[in-house]
Formats: sequence, structure tokens, C-alpha cells
Amino acid sequence: MTTSSQDWLTQSFLPIWLPNLAVLLGALLVALLVWQGNRSERWAVAWRRLRGDRLGQVAGAVAALFLVVGALETVVYPTDTGSRTVLQLLLSGIPQEKGYSAPLATNALSVSDPKPLLKRHLLGTDALGRDTLVQTLRATRSALWIGGLTSLVYIPLGVLLGILAAYYRGWVDDVVQYLYSTIAAVPEILMLVAILMVLGKGLGTMAIALGITGWVGMARLIRGEALRQMERPYVAAAKALGQSDWRILTRHLLPNVMHLIVIKFVLGFSGLVLAEAVLSYLGVGAPVGTPSWGAIIDASRSELSRDPLVWWNLAAASTALFLLVLSLNILGDALRRAFDPKSNS
Amino acid sequence: MFSYLLRRILFFVPIVAGVMLLTFALFFMVQSPEAMARRVLGPKATPKAVELWLHNRGYDKPLLINRIPEQPWYDSLFISQMRRLATFDLGSSDVTGRPLAEVFRQGALPSLLLTVPAFLAGLVMSVGLALYLVFIRNAVADFIASLLCVALMSVPVMVYVIFGQYLVAQVFNYFPAFGFQLNGWSTAKFLLLPIALMIVSGLGADVRLFRALFLEELGQDYIRTARAKGVSSAVVLLRHVFKNGLINLITLVVASLPFLIMGSLLLENFFGIPGLGNVLFTAIQLPDFAVVQASVFLGSLLYLGGLLLTDICYAWADPRIRLH
Amino acid sequence: MSIFKIIRRSALLAAVFLCLTLGVGCSNNPYPPPLQENGADGSPWKVRYGALPEDPRSLDPQVCYDSVGKRVIEPVQECLLEYHPFKTDPYELQGCLLEALPERLTGDGGKTTFRCTLKQGILFHNDPCFPGAKGREVVAADVLFAFQRIADPKVECPALSTLQDYVEGLSDAFEAARKSGQFDYSRAISGLQVTGKYTFEIHLTQVYPQLLYWLAMPFTAPVAREAVEYYDGKVHDGIARDLFRFHPVGTGPFQISEWKRNTRIRFVRNPNYRTTTFPTGGWDPTRESELAPLAGRALPLVDEVCMTIFRESIPIFLLFRQGYLDGMGVGKDAFSSLITPSRDLSEKYKERGVSLHRDTEPSTYYMSLNMQDPVLGPNRKLRQALSAAFNTPAYLDIFYNGVPIVAQQLLPPGIAGHKKDLRNPYGYNLEKAKALLAEAGYPNGRDASGKVLELTLDTSGGSADERLGAEFQQRQFEQLGLRVKVVENPFARLMEKLDQGSFQIAAGSGWGADYPDPENFLFLYYSKNIPPAGKNASRYKSPEFDALFDQMATMENGPQREELVSRMNALLAEDVPHILLMHRSLFSLTQSWSPRIQSNPMLEGGLKYAVLDPKSREELQKHWNRKPLWPIGLLLFIFAAATVAGLRAYRST
Repeated sequence: MTTSSQDWLTQSFLPIWLPNLAVLLGALLVALLVWQGNRSERWAVAWRRLRGDRLGQVAGAVAALFLVVGALETVVYPTDTGSRTVLQLLLSGIPQEKGYSAPLATNALSVSDPKPLLKRHLLGTDALGRDTLVQTLRATRSALWIGGLTSLVYIPLGVLLGILAAYYRGWVDDVVQYLYSTIAAVPEILMLVAILMVLGKGLGTMAIALGITGWVGMARLIRGEALRQMERPYVAAAKALGQSDWRILTRHLLPNVMHLIVIKFVLGFSGLVLAEAVLSYLGVGAPVGTPSWGAIIDASRSELSRDPLVWWNLAAASTALFLLVLSLNILGDALRRAFDPKSNS
Repeated sequence: MFSYLLRRILFFVPIVAGVMLLTFALFFMVQSPEAMARRVLGPKATPKAVELWLHNRGYDKPLLINRIPEQPWYDSLFISQMRRLATFDLGSSDVTGRPLAEVFRQGALPSLLLTVPAFLAGLVMSVGLALYLVFIRNAVADFIASLLCVALMSVPVMVYVIFGQYLVAQVFNYFPAFGFQLNGWSTAKFLLLPIALMIVSGLGADVRLFRALFLEELGQDYIRTARAKGVSSAVVLLRHVFKNGLINLITLVVASLPFLIMGSLLLENFFGIPGLGNVLFTAIQLPDFAVVQASVFLGSLLYLGGLLLTDICYAWADPRIRLH
Repeated sequence: MSIFKIIRRSALLAAVFLCLTLGVGCSNNPYPPPLQENGADGSPWKVRYGALPEDPRSLDPQVCYDSVGKRVIEPVQECLLEYHPFKTDPYELQGCLLEALPERLTGDGGKTTFRCTLKQGILFHNDPCFPGAKGREVVAADVLFAFQRIADPKVECPALSTLQDYVEGLSDAFEAARKSGQFDYSRAISGLQVTGKYTFEIHLTQVYPQLLYWLAMPFTAPVAREAVEYYDGKVHDGIARDLFRFHPVGTGPFQISEWKRNTRIRFVRNPNYRTTTFPTGGWDPTRESELAPLAGRALPLVDEVCMTIFRESIPIFLLFRQGYLDGMGVGKDAFSSLITPSRDLSEKYKERGVSLHRDTEPSTYYMSLNMQDPVLGPNRKLRQALSAAFNTPAYLDIFYNGVPIVAQQLLPPGIAGHKKDLRNPYGYNLEKAKALLAEAGYPNGRDASGKVLELTLDTSGGSADERLGAEFQQRQFEQLGLRVKVVENPFARLMEKLDQGSFQIAAGSGWGADYPDPENFLFLYYSKNIPPAGKNASRYKSPEFDALFDQMATMENGPQREELVSRMNALLAEDVPHILLMHRSLFSLTQSWSPRIQSNPMLEGGLKYAVLDPKSREELQKHWNRKPLWPIGLLLFIFAAATVAGLRAYRST
């Protein structure tokens, strides 16, 4: 029998400190990327260009801030009733009320019976009385996880198949093209709903489903760029020197498409975060108990028809989402300009 | 050219077959035909009623390949459905029995009424704004415009729609909050708001895209030559940049054409426009496999048609590209 | 012509077009204009606006069984009998297409005959399927045709499985058609004997007084053969016609004049309607002044009904607030905006003249316990403990806003045998539950060897609400010290498990009355109805219960029957094959211009009795939908400023 549909990735066989491990691994990955980048000439040049781009730096800082908040929400420590995140610990001074209340109000939102609140809430409270600011901050984790986990799925898949298709051509190329044409032709909704219904709802399974539908774009992009790279003399030279396929792929081709991967990752991330809102509306979003901006925005539809008007949840979630996506978009542009100043963005 | 087209179309056949197989697998992985019948018939259905329902629609046959002795191997659900679709017989809805050709035909018009004006108006506006920005080449305006575009792009579509519907239909009472009617000029009042929202949500990305396109043209050698020859800025802009950028533009436009007919699920749901946008989604939830299958079939044909059109456009635009 | 001129001209054109459209279309009324200005007698044409959650699936009277379909078919297709709109305690059937209730004759061996007489001069709707497009008179042969269709396998009639047990010849006809692949309409059914132009007799194989209720449903309503043969996709006059299931031809007070899929259904009054008139009595004396003026009036009381299809519930609330809907059901989304914590209508809506109504459906919802389960089946005290541990009032409060009534017995209010003051002996009482659990052999949830008892709870659905509900249910049982594993199933899978018996505790069971007779609920625990034969999902088997059921099933309502029913209730209460939850109640609202006339839950809307004051509605709509002009001004200003700035930048290059 299936277990209850919580995220199966975090349910049966993984103890509670796996998320901490994930954060650690993430930090390691970033360090690795930086170290690797330092070694490459191209990356050093790009970094210098980036330093001069004020707007890009600001965007980068904002994105990093979101990353920190998300990490704080991911790192858990055990308590006697289960586990709790560091962010929850930091914000534990904020109590939960009984129901809606306006930002900075002292009484609950009710025309007939406004009970006094336990504390003032900066951005008000939601339907269950939870502080809006807390929920919005906590939801950062869902957005980052969806972006991050999905990227972990679609980037390796897309890059691998794209590069292999470009390098080997022939039947490998045909198979890869067949695969991605077929998957692209199946409506995304159907794939998402089907996969989520079979695997159960959760951030992990959402990432798998979105990854399966999303690798197509990456594969196409990498394949195109790799094909162009293949025309360059250094590939023929490497082959003539008798270097193994694996070496050529990892030492020559991969580093030369890496910048595209990074840019697409950053821009794709913002697209995924935006998509989460629509997925919540369709009913295939984050599961209950996991705060997410998409769920807050979806719930705000009925809030706008309330009387008195409840607008603060929509405002908070939209603003947070907007800031993250905006900073990612600007960062992506800055990166593109840094790697290729002639590109017009 | 003709042989190329033929080869491409032949290449599409295994893709469509693969798509239909995948759809079939996805759908029945989630629920068996019995489970589907039960959802449709409701909790009061007796097992006999379920069996009858399945029998009348052919769902009591084996799913993929018929391995029952004395029966032909090709008498399976999947194969008989594929044979039907190959003749473009879309069948009828499992739930209501309505012929699907009619369902799609009726839903196409409202979807097109929504997407085509939004597409055209959005195109004109974005191209116009992009041209304008490229022309004035004012660093400050450029910067502000870029920022504005990125900002517009960073708001989720849902927020535009929720906010737009709330403000314009609820608070200001300008347009109906919900509903649709094909009634001459009155149709417009149901479409103006969703069309406007559609345009606004896509404007940011489109302006950036076309601006990049035109700037790329502007950087070409022939432009510098023209300028050196003393041709005025305006003429340079329009005659050369626009015309040459037009080719890439057309390619992009043509590639999106087939998708116009599929409508916008979000807008149609929110505003109650009876188009094709939510046909697939409702069919997945009901569930109504016949509709899902026919939608995916048509959708994949449209998608592949779009690919084909893109290829043709590239070839036509750039004779250097050999269609091999 | 230079490009710039083109751009300027097209921009101007676009602006003009926009202004025109805005001017022409600037109203937020989402409805098409009414079909006519005035009625036949010159009085203003009355249109009633309602909402449906989706398109009806089938309007074939022998098939229609979904809730939306029933609402749409009711004003169109009249039945042989109908429920008196005002008599709900007890419910009362009266003749609709029949002159009166059928005469009942009992033969030997329990064979019963119902002698029925149709009213004369009732015409079918005017429809192109009849010669000259004029509806013809309804005759007894039309009732036979309806019964034949019930037995036709291609029609898929949901009533067949019940009726074939009672009506002679029905099951034979079905089997014959199944074998031959085609139903033979030239052969009559022995159970439906036409004895005259307007008279017929229904022959039953056993005593079954509940047949009368089936005569009040569209399954047995007369159908014109011409309609079925004309429609079903056939082409006439070059026009392909709809399927019959989308184009019912009945005798009812309304006809469907338009059905735009996914948009709306419009009904127009039937000019030839004479079957029934407004009742002349039977209402609560407090409503005398309201209803007496309507007594005996010709029906329907409105001229047109326009039902819009809303796939989502939020727009329903929006339109109701704007005055564009005459009534609405209060769903979860709108609940908190409309209802105060004391279950009263909020001030804002009271001021607008909106009225709040609360109706209890004749339905009961419960959690099924599997009597064949090795742990639960033999251990009655365990089942009693589970029942007493469940905090039903809190459950209803949290998940249903406290609106439904806690069920104390299987039979809902309004069904004969329901006792108002009965209390479930194993209703919520945590202390009692713990004591019972200990008696059951699991003190504090542990068995003799000290192992914690683990039970499985199967629930349906994956929505947020449903999951929270499942968590709540789990917590209730775990209060006893047990461990409960929750398994979420898609709806169909849960139905499958109930049918197969592969569950211990299953949430989401329930039954809504098909007809107001206790047999329709108690049969759920009759041992012969254990699946796959029937719907006894709990697999309850009690020879005592069965014996009582056999006795009371076909009895007339009376003190003797009540005695039997209360003994059966007592058995169920002690054996606890289910954990009772609620009888569903719903809140609904009506606007001031369309007061509610009747609320009989056996009627699917009762549209023919609806009343309306169009003048009052028009005034209030205008008042509630005023349009401020300042946003347009602001928009124009921004547009002008942007254009000026843009032109300046352009000129400076």
C-alpha cells in the first residue's frame, strides 16, 4: 500500500537531517563552481566584467539573500515533536492568531466581533491566523527547491543528451531528436498531472515531473551550441591527437557550453518559480503544509471578494516572487553581457 | 524542397505514434479503465452498470496487445483507437457522447477570438516599441525600458489576471466579471479585458526579444556602410533593420501560429470563455479519455506543423541554409 | 507611402476602434438580451438567472442521474407523479401526468398491479420532430416506449438494476437484447401493459409499494418515439440534428431554447403547458399571506430561465453581489464573507435584502467499518470504541463550518422512521471510548502482548481540505493510543476498495436518498446487498436485521413499520458497522426580488414555482454597479504623458 502522499523523498527512508545535507552539498557545489571558474580564463574575464555591472551586482545580492532565507528554512534540527527549521526558530517570537487580521492591526479582522490580537503583525495574518511575513519567507524554500531540484533533473539530462547528440551525430542524434520531439509534443499538463498522480504530490515529485518536461529546451540549446563548437578546429585537432571521446567531451566541449548552461539555469529558475503559481491553481502544486507563494496567490482569489478586503497575502507573495524573479532575470542578463559584451540584452 | 517536406512528414509519423503511446500509458498508469468508469458514473453505480459502460465503449478489451487465444492480436484498445485516429475520426466523448469534431470546432472560435487579437495587437505594440527604442538609442530611455520590460516579465500571469479581474470587473464594473456571448459587437466586452491582460503579460518578454533582434541587425556591416554613405537614421532604421529583422520576426511569429488555436487555459477558466484552453484539463479531471486522446492527437499535429513551418521559413529567409 | 504614415494611421484606427468598443460594450451585464420584451399578455417578460457548475452529461430521461442533469431535465421532462412542493414531513406524492396516484391491486403470490390513467390533452413540446412541428398528445404507448428504453442495453439506464427485480419482463427483454445486440422495440414488455389510449397497468413480480417513487423520476416518464428517431445525429432538411440525449422532448413547463456548451442553457416557457397549476393548499399556515395569492395560478410563473455554467465558484459569488444572479448556494469560498460566526447573514447583505436559507438534505454520511475484517469484524466493542472516539461535532465545525447536522442515526430527517430525539449511544464520548477499548481487549490501544494496535484508514481525494480532514480523522482514533495509517486513494480506487472489501475503515461513504423511504437507506445493510450484488460495503450480515428488513421493506408507512424500523436502527446502533458523521445541510441565498417559494429537497429546483420582480431587480442592479470615471481619466492622462515624452525623445535624435 502506498504511504500517505507526503513528499516521498523526505518520507520513508530518509531521516530528518537530509535537508541539512542538501544545503551543505549546495554550498560545496557553489564553492566548486567558483574554484573551477577561477581556473578558466574566460570565466575570469567575465567576472571582471560583472564587477563593473552595478545593477547585476545588486540583483546578485538580492538573489543571494533569497538563497540565504531559503537555506535557513531548509536546515532543520530535531525537536521532541518532530523537526523544526532554523527560520522557524528565528521567527518563533511571532504568535499565531485565530484568523485574518490586517497589517499592523491590533484587532482581528471582523466586523461584528473584533477580538484583540496577541501581537501586531507587520504584514497581517492569513486565514488560519499565521503571520503573512513568516509564511512568505518560509515559502522561499518551496520556490528555491522547485527551481533547484528541477534544475538538478533537467540540466544533467538535457546537457548529456544534447552533447551526445551533437558529438556522435548519426543514430544517436536521431534518437535524441525523436525523444525530445515526442516529449515536447505531449501537452505538459497531461504529463505533470499523470506523473504527480502516480508518484504522489510533493516538491520532489514536482521536480521530477517538471524536469522530465523541461529537459527538452536545454537539450536543444546545448545541441545547437555543441554543433557549432564541433565546427571549430580544436575539436578536430583533439581527435587527431587521439584523445578519447570522454576527454574531448569533458575537457573541450563541456567547458565551452558551460556559460550557456549557467545562463539558462538562472533564467530557467525564474521561469520555474513563476510556473509554480499556475501549478498551484491547477491543483498540482506544493502539498498541504508546505508554504508556497503559488498556494498563497491561489488562495487570494477568494480573499479579494471578501468584505472587508483581504489584500495583504496576495501583495506579500507577489512581491516576494517578483523580487526573486526580477533579480534572477537581471542577473541572467548581466551574466550574458559578462560573457559576451557584444550580445544585446 | 518537396522531397524535404515529404521526409519531414514521414519523420513525424513515428513521433505521433510515440506521443499517442505515451499519452495512453500516462493516462492508464494513473487509473485503470474500471476506475475511470467508476469516476464517471459516480458512487451509486452498480458493478453491472460499470461493466456495461466499459463494454459499450470498448474498454473491456485488453489494453495494448490482445493475447487472448482465438482473438486477433490487433484487437486491443490501443490499436483499435490508433486505427480510428489514423482516419482522422476523432470519436465521441466518453462522458457525454458528443462527437469530438463538433466539440473542437465549437471551442475553436472563442479561443481564436481571444488569442488572435491579443497576438496581433501584442505583436504590433512590441515591434513598434522595440523599433522606437532601437531608433532613439538613448541610454537612459533604454535602461528604463529594459528595466520595465524585465519587471513586467517577472510578474506571474496569475497575478495579472487576478488583479486585473478584481480591479476592472469588480471595483470599476466596466466589464462583465465572467461569461461569454457571440453577439456581434457585444462580444467585445467579454474579450477586451482578457485580451488586454494577455498583451500586458507578454509585452515585457516580446519587446526585449524584438529589440535584441533589431539591435543585432543594426550591428551588421551593411548598416555601417549605409550610414557612412550618409543615409539618414530613420531610413536606415526602417528600410534595412526592419526589413531584414522582419525575416527572423516572421519565423518567430509563424512558429507560434499553431498554438493560437489552443487558447489560454488560465484566461478561459477565469473569465468563463468556452474555448479549447480548458478542454484538455477538464478532460483529465473528469476523466474522459476519448477527449484527452483526441486533444493530444490534434495538439501534436499542430506542434509538428509549427516545427515544419519554422523550418520552411528559415529556408525561405536564408537561401544559404540547405535543407538536408 | 512611408512606414511612419502607416504606423500613425493604424494607431489612430486602433484608438478609434477601441473607443467605439468601449462605448458600445461598456456594461458589466454578462447576459444576452431576454428572448422577448413582453409576455403574451403584455406584462413584462420575466427572466430568472441561475448557475450550474458544469454542463449536464445527459438529458436522456432514461439515463439522467447526475445532479446537474437532474436540475436541467426537471423543468423540461415531467414525470408520471410528482412531489407536493410544500409537504415535506412526510413527503407526499401526487399525480402529475397521471390523473391521480395509481390504483393498487394485489394478486396471488405477492404479484401487484398498478392501474394508471394519464391525464388527457397533455401535449408534448412543439418540436420539429413532430409533423408540422406541433407537439402531439401523450398516450400510454409512450410510457411503454420509456420502459422499453429502460431495458435497452445501449441506453445504459441506471434504474434498470433495481426495476428489473420488480417489473415483470424487464430483465428478460434486457438479456434478449444483450444477446442479439439490438433491442426489439416491436416486442412489448409483459410488465407494462397498455390497456387503453390513456390507461396502462404495471405488473410487478412482488410487493413493492416504493414503485410509486420511481414513477416520480424521469426514468419512467413517457417519451415520444418520434423524438428518439428524429434526433441521434440524423440529418433532416440538410441540418444535422443533435443527439437525443442533448435534446429532450417532454411535456414540462419549460423547453430548452438554447444550449451553448460551457456557457449557458436557456429555457423558455412552454406555451401549451397545462399539466399542473400552483397548489391550492398544503403550505405552512405562517406562509398563508405569501402563498395564497398564487393559489391555482397557471404555471410557470416566470417566462425564461437562463442558467450560466460556472466551472468555478468564485465568479458565482461575484455575480451574485453585482445582482446578476437571483440565488446561489453558499460554498466554502464565499462562506466566511457571508455568514457570521453565529450562523447568521452578515449585515452588509441583510441591508441589501438578501435572505439566508438553511436546508438539510435527506442524506447521511459515515465512515464504513469492514465487518469481514479479522480485527474489526468479530470485535463489537472495538467498533463501538472507535465510534465513541470520533469527535464529530468538532469535525463538522472545522471542515464544514458547522453547517451540517450531526447524524445520530442512519435515517436522515424527513424520512419516515427518523426519530428527532434519538441519540447515538456511541456518539462522541472519549471516556466511554477508552473504557470500551479496554473491554475490547486493547487497553490504551495495546493488545495482550503489549503491541500497539494498528489500523488502516482509507480516504479519498488529494485536495488540501481532504488531506487536513484525513489528518483530523487519524488524530481522533490515535487519541485512544492506537496507531492509524492513512492511505490516500483517488476516488475511483476508494470505490473499488469498498466494492472489493479491501479496507478496514473507509472514509467518504454516504448515501443520498433516491426517494423518501426508509428502505432506501436500510437496504445498505441488507446482507443480500453485499458487493458485488449491491452496495453493502460494510458487509454487514445480521440474520435478525435481514428478517426485519424482509418484513418492513414493502410495508406501508404506519406505526407497525415504524416499530420495525426502530428495532433495525437499534441493531445498527449497537453493531456499529459504520461511524455516523452527518446529514448534509446547505446554506443558500436569495435576492430580495426573488423570494423563495418552496424548498422541497425531492424537487430538483422546482423552477415552475419560481417568482420574480424584474423592476426591482433592474433598479438594484443599477445601484450596485455604478461605474467610476476617474480611472479612465487617469489612463488617458498616463497615455498622453507617455506619448508626449516619447515624441520628445524621438525629435531630439
